[in-house]
Amino acid sequence: MSSQAVHALPIASAFTDDAEAQARFDSMQRYLKWRKRLLPLIAVACLLLLWEGAVRAFGIRPFIAPAPSAVAAVLYAKFGLLMQNLVPTAIEALLGFLLGNAAAILIATAFVYKRTLEEAFFPVAVMINTVPVVAKAPILVLLLGNGMEPKIAIAALICFFPTLVNMTRGLRDVSPQQLELMRILSASPREVFFKLRLLNALPYLFSALKIAASTAVIGAIVGEWIGATSGIGALIIQATYNFDSPLLYATIVVGSVFSATFFGLISWAEHRFLKWNAGRAS
Amino acid sequence: MSVAALQRPPSRPAATTSTAIALSGVGVRFTTERGTVAALENIDLEVRQGGFLTLLGPSGCGKSTLLRVIADLIAPTSGRAEVLGGPPSAARQRRDIGFVFQDAALLPWRTIIENVALPLEVGNGRARPGKRSPRELLELVGLAGWEKAYPHELSGGMRQRVSIARALVNDPKLLLMDEPFGALDEITRDRLNEELLQVWAETGTTILFVTHSLYEAAFLGEEVLLLAARPGRVQERVPVDLPSPRCIPMRETSAFIELVAHLRRVLETC
Ligand SMILES: Nc1ncnc2c1ncn2[C@@H]1O[C@H](COP(=O)(O)OP(=O)(O)OP(=O)(O)O)[C@@H](O)[C@H]1O
Ligand SMILES: [Mg+2]
Repeated sequence: MSSQAVHALPIASAFTDDAEAQARFDSMQRYLKWRKRLLPLIAVACLLLLWEGAVRAFGIRPFIAPAPSAVAAVLYAKFGLLMQNLVPTAIEALLGFLLGNAAAILIATAFVYKRTLEEAFFPVAVMINTVPVVAKAPILVLLLGNGMEPKIAIAALICFFPTLVNMTRGLRDVSPQQLELMRILSASPREVFFKLRLLNALPYLFSALKIAASTAVIGAIVGEWIGATSGIGALIIQATYNFDSPLLYATIVVGSVFSATFFGLISWAEHRFLKWNAGRAS
Repeated sequence: MSVAALQRPPSRPAATTSTAIALSGVGVRFTTERGTVAALENIDLEVRQGGFLTLLGPSGCGKSTLLRVIADLIAPTSGRAEVLGGPPSAARQRRDIGFVFQDAALLPWRTIIENVALPLEVGNGRARPGKRSPRELLELVGLAGWEKAYPHELSGGMRQRVSIARALVNDPKLLLMDEPFGALDEITRDRLNEELLQVWAETGTTILFVTHSLYEAAFLGEEVLLLAARPGRVQERVPVDLPSPRCIPMRETSAFIELVAHLRRVLETC
């Protein structure tokens, strides 16, 4: 019967027919990947060189704009001080990230199951979100004192909103046919949540987490501006008041590197856990 | 006719055991902001167990709605629906109903084999394994070797075959298919048609199959049910007198061509 022939079709080997073409394709892919990685590095190196040259050529004084070499020297000489100040900022950013996102995920779940709650509280969330961070910070310092708490709260608040919006969308935007499938299978509400809605929401959640990874660090730093004796934010303020521009720049570099690492970690996790999403993402 | 009639067992089994679907006076109305729509009105329908009925009708005549009533996805607003000798909800909860959606409705985060095994995992312990394992079913639909792939790596036709395997994993007594091959090219559709007939022959399940293709309706069905629109109602039930098993070349016979022409004439009046 002809349908037997269909079963025997060697579909899996269709790509490996032409080994040479495959090899050429692979090496091209490798080249493109390296090119994509190297080009930004080369651009950054060129900009740094240009900057260094300009500072030397025009004799710009260090407190106005320090040369990259001066910043590097401070990074090396005051590495201990910089790391000492990174620790509290990192703790605040991470705790804020965890708290803000956990709260957002829980509230999004409640919104999806109780529309009334969403109608009542979503406008409140929007209102809080429209208050700028620099305005929220002093209020929280007044409320929570001078310790780490207000900084954690600011970082959490800043993460909260994007995750709330994305997670609500992700939990809700399930295809009607997938829901009908679950009903055909007489799935319990629990199963619909854990086997359908939650997984459906993961890509949405990860886009929000990537935003939150960098904004949480910003939140912690802004919180430290208002009142802190240690932390990246506090060091930025001190360095500015002391006209210690090389230290200021070095501090900013440390903060940025931390922020970028955090972002990279989330991206890696997304890549790792959302392999199945490759088709939709591209 | 007389010979076949004489060879039948003298007493046919009671109607409840040999009837897969019995609808009497079923009506469905949808109420929207723009008023009420009579999607179905006064549908009487009987389908024997092990039968293969194809549904044809203009767009919006209520074919999907009819399948949804039978699958207990919506309740009829009037009339009575009986599936496998009881209310549709009981059949659904016993896992006697398999449903194949138009767009496959696979879960993208599950591998192919995990998708096929989904009915064995959910349903609060109602899941009972069928005679065939998910792996064997993938083989049956010609997808052996694709177990670990994700849905986005498959073509539309392959995805549809996965969803058929998934629908079969509980050995359903009734298989409801809503335009499952609508989005496929002719050649793939022909192949899948033949495979479906093979599955039907092997499993003995009752099949209700919605399609927009006259050829598909005539080729697959033992009978073709034509529905008319606004309100959705039964226009005609046409028996298909083709020898079985069916095969693609049969579609060139004059009997087949005449049948399709007849279906087209009826459809034009719907
Ligand atoms: N959930 C719903 N709410 C309101 N109206 C609906 C709903 N589902 C279907 N209808 C209406 O019921 C009628 C029948 O719809 P149905 O989907 O059953 O048609 P169909 O025969 O499957 O059409 P098609 O061939 O295009 O799939 C249509 O007029 C449609 O507008
Ligand atoms: Mg339909």
